[in-house]
Amino acid sequence: MKQKHLTIIAKKEFKGLFNERTILLAVLLQLFIAMFSSFLMVGLTSMYDPSSLSKYSHTQYSIGYAGNDSQMLTYLESSRDFRVFRMDLSTAVAALEQRKLAAVIYVPDTRAADPGPVKITVYTLKNDLQTAVVSVKLKDVFLKYEQDLRTVRADRLNEQIILLEIPKASGGGDFYEFVYGLLIPLLVFMPAIIASALIIDLITEEYQHETLETLISTPVTFNEMVWGKVLCCEILVPIQAGAWLILLMANGIAIQNAGLILILVMISSLILILLGTLTALHYRERTSAQFIFSTALVVVILVALALPANPLNLLTRLAVGTAAGEQWLVLGFTVCIVFVLGLLTHWYAGRIGRSHHAG
Amino acid sequence: MSIYRDIATIARWEVKRSFSMMSRDVLPFAIILLILLVLATGFTAQSGLHIQDRMYTVGVDDPDVAKLLAGDARFAVYLLDPAALRSNPQAFDLIIVGGRLSGSETDRAKAAQKTLERDYAKYVNSVYNTEQDLFAAYPLWIDSQEIKAELDFLATQSGHYVGASSRSVAPVPDGDVKNIPTPSSTLSITEEELRQGLVQSNAQNTQISRYTEALSSSPTTAMGNFKTPSQISPPLPFDSIILVFVFIFPLYFTSQFFMMSIMNERIERKGEILLSTPVRSSSIILGKALPYLLGMFAICAALILYIRASPIILLPLIPVIFFFLANALLIGMLARSFKELSFLSIFFSTIATSYLFFPSIFANVHVISLISPLTLIVLTIQGSTWTVTDYLYSTSLFWLTGIVIFYIATKNFKDERLFSEKRLLSRVREFLSEILSERHPLISLFLFCAFSIPFIFMVQMMCLVLFFNLPMPYSLVLLLLFAALTEEIAKGVGIYTLYARDPGFLSWKMLVLASIATAAGFLVGEKLLLFVTLAQISDSIFGSILFLSLGALWLPFLLHCACVLIVASCLKLWGKKGFVPGLVIAMVVHCLYNLYFVMRWIG
Repeated sequence: MKQKHLTIIAKKEFKGLFNERTILLAVLLQLFIAMFSSFLMVGLTSMYDPSSLSKYSHTQYSIGYAGNDSQMLTYLESSRDFRVFRMDLSTAVAALEQRKLAAVIYVPDTRAADPGPVKITVYTLKNDLQTAVVSVKLKDVFLKYEQDLRTVRADRLNEQIILLEIPKASGGGDFYEFVYGLLIPLLVFMPAIIASALIIDLITEEYQHETLETLISTPVTFNEMVWGKVLCCEILVPIQAGAWLILLMANGIAIQNAGLILILVMISSLILILLGTLTALHYRERTSAQFIFSTALVVVILVALALPANPLNLLTRLAVGTAAGEQWLVLGFTVCIVFVLGLLTHWYAGRIGRSHHAG
Repeated sequence: MSIYRDIATIARWEVKRSFSMMSRDVLPFAIILLILLVLATGFTAQSGLHIQDRMYTVGVDDPDVAKLLAGDARFAVYLLDPAALRSNPQAFDLIIVGGRLSGSETDRAKAAQKTLERDYAKYVNSVYNTEQDLFAAYPLWIDSQEIKAELDFLATQSGHYVGASSRSVAPVPDGDVKNIPTPSSTLSITEEELRQGLVQSNAQNTQISRYTEALSSSPTTAMGNFKTPSQISPPLPFDSIILVFVFIFPLYFTSQFFMMSIMNERIERKGEILLSTPVRSSSIILGKALPYLLGMFAICAALILYIRASPIILLPLIPVIFFFLANALLIGMLARSFKELSFLSIFFSTIATSYLFFPSIFANVHVISLISPLTLIVLTIQGSTWTVTDYLYSTSLFWLTGIVIFYIATKNFKDERLFSEKRLLSRVREFLSEILSERHPLISLFLFCAFSIPFIFMVQMMCLVLFFNLPMPYSLVLLLLFAALTEEIAKGVGIYTLYARDPGFLSWKMLVLASIATAAGFLVGEKLLLFVTLAQISDSIFGSILFLSLGALWLPFLLHCACVLIVASCLKLWGKKGFVPGLVIAMVVHCLYNLYFVMRWIG
């Protein structure tokens, strides 16, 4: 294999990509996803952790209270979130139906020290954003009341609990797990998936457009052609992934070990690219190759995710800065897989190349 | 009759050909991969997803606490003696010494503490679940009853304020008061059943159980409506994620085959034979699409049967299938190479998926969600009903854009378009140019603009969803800019296409006439579609920006005219280079006009 031939092929593919402005589409796509990730941040995570939702509203909600007096009533009345009205149950529910109340609570006359449970009935509106906020706020009051009741009935408990004293959280950290444990690995690995789909296109195109014979009648061998294309796809990965990292950092998301992350992504993406190469060499036709490859991709990703210390996990830990030495082990293992796949590709491409030259 | 026969013949060919092409040892591999897929899914379901393993570090001095935390893979737990921990607190996110937790001030530590709090609560519950006296451990039970409000969708938007009136007297309901029976003070199920329910709900990871529960219509918890206070949580929106995977991805996959089949006709002019037959191009397209259409129906029907959902789900899926096929056809006809095909289809699928998926997250929460047909599916699975109006509202854009795209594709399905090797944008222009008549350019422009409205609405809906979560002034400003820009582009494209075809077309007289035709077409299309579907959205403040021009007719007409005139004049004066500056100027004018109205509206 001559290095010059490799770069010629890679350059040719790059030129094709730029000529078609497909790169522009890829950039647009990334921007689009970046915009949506801001939507994800607020929209989806507020649902992930609904308690963050209640921070957005500072209104007082009207609550109907029916039934008997209890400590509940005192808590509700002292809460700044609610305005409590003592009402008859039927009237209160009718008012709720007309959205004149946010919720209705019915408390029975069970006493705190009774053997049975205290059962509170809560009426809320179906399918309503306000209900989501109100029930988060009501939950706090219920928890307080539950603690009271538990204290009264404490002598009836006999299991031992490991006690932990947890200081009140100072807020923040809501989005952390979502951003670092999901968003960053997905975004940074997306270029690898795009690159592996691209290699299939590049190879099958030579077959289906019947340009292959012309190409290998030049001094470039079949093997060099394949590796040149792999090189082109591989170069695109760190460029795109790096752009993501810079974009994320510009958004105020601190990412540690950016260099190591790029190396990790480059090596892991080679696995996918080589798998794509093998599939494309085997089928020589885009529909079949893409179909088989995308199914195989799902299998590979699923299995990888199920393994502890997989590359995606390593990426998360590198990004948050808790990777402790074993990253080299994971990296080494990944390199081994790449090496085996590389040998396989080289052998397979060599075999096909010989048959082309013979025929 | 012969048309149907043609279609049937082409469809048969298509099936035969795709099978002969796929036969090259695809099937055995596909079967192996499917088996592997099932195995991998099982393996993953068992071992869980290990993305977040060992994200946080915790130092503890008590082996019992260490054991408690080791159950959560997210923690890397280090058991050390208290002195070592105290001397080196920076090495850990959290340290627990003598049962006291302390953490550093970093974001990671805060997130770690949140996770730990949840884990601890879970542990405490698991201990309480084994208590002899369950009602001492869980003395309080909440029975939640959901009431269906009379004022449904529109009220959701103002609902924030209705429940939070500033009056200090109890509200009085209008009309008759239905008698609500006093709830009994006892739970209707036994202590043991409750205990089982508690153990069950504590054991399952709510994040995952939501995925599986989404597809079984009846929740199978033993506890009925009863919950302990810590179990109260608003409905999580993950149903739609799983729905996207279950319903949309197979559809997307199948439409890929259609895309590729169209593309294959174009490689090395293979489709020339087909085009030279006396069959009409619409028959060819329909014939080629038919097997895929039926295949997609079959897949959806099978899925619906499998999850035992109501067959009514098929109704909102039909326009989605139609839309996917239309776009696959267009992309297959537009792309010059496989690379371009891949990128175009990835691009399209990302946008289409987000358009379908993001609004439906808010299925139970906000009226915006109804712009996605997926929401109707979520609602059906949850057992809620939707009306014909809801259906029209969420699917009409899919129907209309699908039809327009099919029409454009049929018009362009001929030699000189299919086998041309031009750039993407000039190809798009040629495609559009084909549907603009040379003899009646003004009528064509009018119709062109009227039919661009569904596309504009789709883009604007997208923007609406996109900007909905930004803080208030920004979301309005961005929406304002983008709404103006999309409208101006849509209006300008028609004239640009005519100009590119024949620069001599734009005489000053023609320029004015063309602007009037464009503006009129735009206005008519907008009004028609608005009255049919979008009354609900247009009532909110966001809607008032997008569809401001509902009021007096002559004012928006003048605005549209002026903006198109600006773009057309720039084209006439500076040629094609003038198009983009013209668009920018028109956008500014449009924004100023909108701002004037919004300001007045708000003020």
